[in-house]
Amino acid sequence: MDGEVTHPLEPQLAAYIATRMPGAAEIAIDSLERISGGASRETYRFRLIWREDGRTRERKLILRRDPPASLIDTERRVEFEAYRAFAGSAVPVPEMLWLEEGSEALGHPFFIAEELTGFQAAPQMLFAGGYEAVLQIVAERKWTILGEIARADPIALRLDKWMPTPTLDGCWSRELAHWEGILDRDEAEPLPIARAAIRWLKANPPPPAQKLSVVHGDYRTGNFLYDQAGDIHGVLDWEMAHLGDPLEDLGWGFNPVWQFGRGLEGGLVPRAQATAIWERASGLKADPAALHWWILFNCVKGQAIWVGSARAFIDGGNREPIMIYPAWWLLNAQDRAILKVMGRP
Amino acid sequence: MTPEVPSVLFELSQLLMRNAAPDVPDGERASALGLSAMLLGLAAETWDGAAHNLVVENRALRELLDLAGEDGDLHLAALKAENDRLRARLIAAQVAAEAAGDVARQDAIWAELLASTERRRISVSLV
Repeated sequence: MDGEVTHPLEPQLAAYIATRMPGAAEIAIDSLERISGGASRETYRFRLIWREDGRTRERKLILRRDPPASLIDTERRVEFEAYRAFAGSAVPVPEMLWLEEGSEALGHPFFIAEELTGFQAAPQMLFAGGYEAVLQIVAERKWTILGEIARADPIALRLDKWMPTPTLDGCWSRELAHWEGILDRDEAEPLPIARAAIRWLKANPPPPAQKLSVVHGDYRTGNFLYDQAGDIHGVLDWEMAHLGDPLEDLGWGFNPVWQFGRGLEGGLVPRAQATAIWERASGLKADPAALHWWILFNCVKGQAIWVGSARAFIDGGNREPIMIYPAWWLLNAQDRAILKVMGRP
Repeated sequence: MTPEVPSVLFELSQLLMRNAAPDVPDGERASALGLSAMLLGLAAETWDGAAHNLVVENRALRELLDLAGEDGDLHLAALKAENDRLRARLIAAQVAAEAAGDVARQDAIWAELLASTERRRISVSLV
């Protein structure tokens, strides 16, 4: 079937890119296909072909377009700028090319970025057996990179221009209020376990953040590109990036659902080992009580996201199966994770 | 499960119809069919026990909340609506127990909440 079907987005995309590449001629798009798994953005890969300086050139690119209704409602500008902030740093990210915040070109806002090819992202493949010998290397890279994100100065990266800057003692309350608000807005049924967790979090606040950090917001196994040697070549899915407590990202990765049933953090190594790698790379300390607070918080945040995906489906804003699967797969698992973290197993 | 199974099955039927058309790109068809298959599998897994689990849970919640009543309408939608009503009452009861420092009452509520996650547990649960 290759070559017989032209995706309806291809001509629109070619027309848009022509406006951004004035030195290019004969711009064409081919092999455009949607990549599964993108519930907060529609993600497509495609090949861009053009002529420039008398030569034919090509490049593999990614299109991330807002869907009609999303699992996570965020500004694409924030995601775009977060990627750009870490370009060329110890945090590997794909190159960002163009951001379009209007809906004229492709119907919804979008950005276009370099595709990092030849790597894998799926946790299922990582844990299928073929990578067993390199899981320690993946873990070392995973939490070293997260430590680098935590160590970075968001002001020097100029991310405060795009992201609100909370006070050090206000990081936790800002995030908790945000995700409790999402639950209030989107829940389709009473959630007694999540509500009990929220009450506990409010009654037992963590200490102020050690520093203001960039928080990736979804740093977990599945959101980075790895190779067969266990190296990591790209950190993806920055749509929930914000400024806040560096322990927040560590806690999200320690949400028990991201153990993938393997009894190891991120499915990779014990918590003490992951934490030690992160502390070494970040130069920060992971106080156990504060970290516990952030892990439980992230269980609530996860529940808000899964509830949001169900809401998008129920309201008819997005009826795609990718909106159902997180809710069916994770709502109860997340409740069980909350019980585990609260010591109520 | 939320969203409700009937609405999901209807949507999947529409999706399968759309993907029967010849002009759907291969990658998108594969993605849609793969996800649909996983969802159909989960629906099949939960179908037989859905009404039973709701009746059992509603009975346990009434006992815990000291409420009279029985499920007369065994349609899943009716059982779920009653379950939502009772779980909202359970939240209020838990808040009250916390405020009163009634540890025994809190433990009983936590035990029911744990049992509720066992009833809802699916074979591919991550926790």
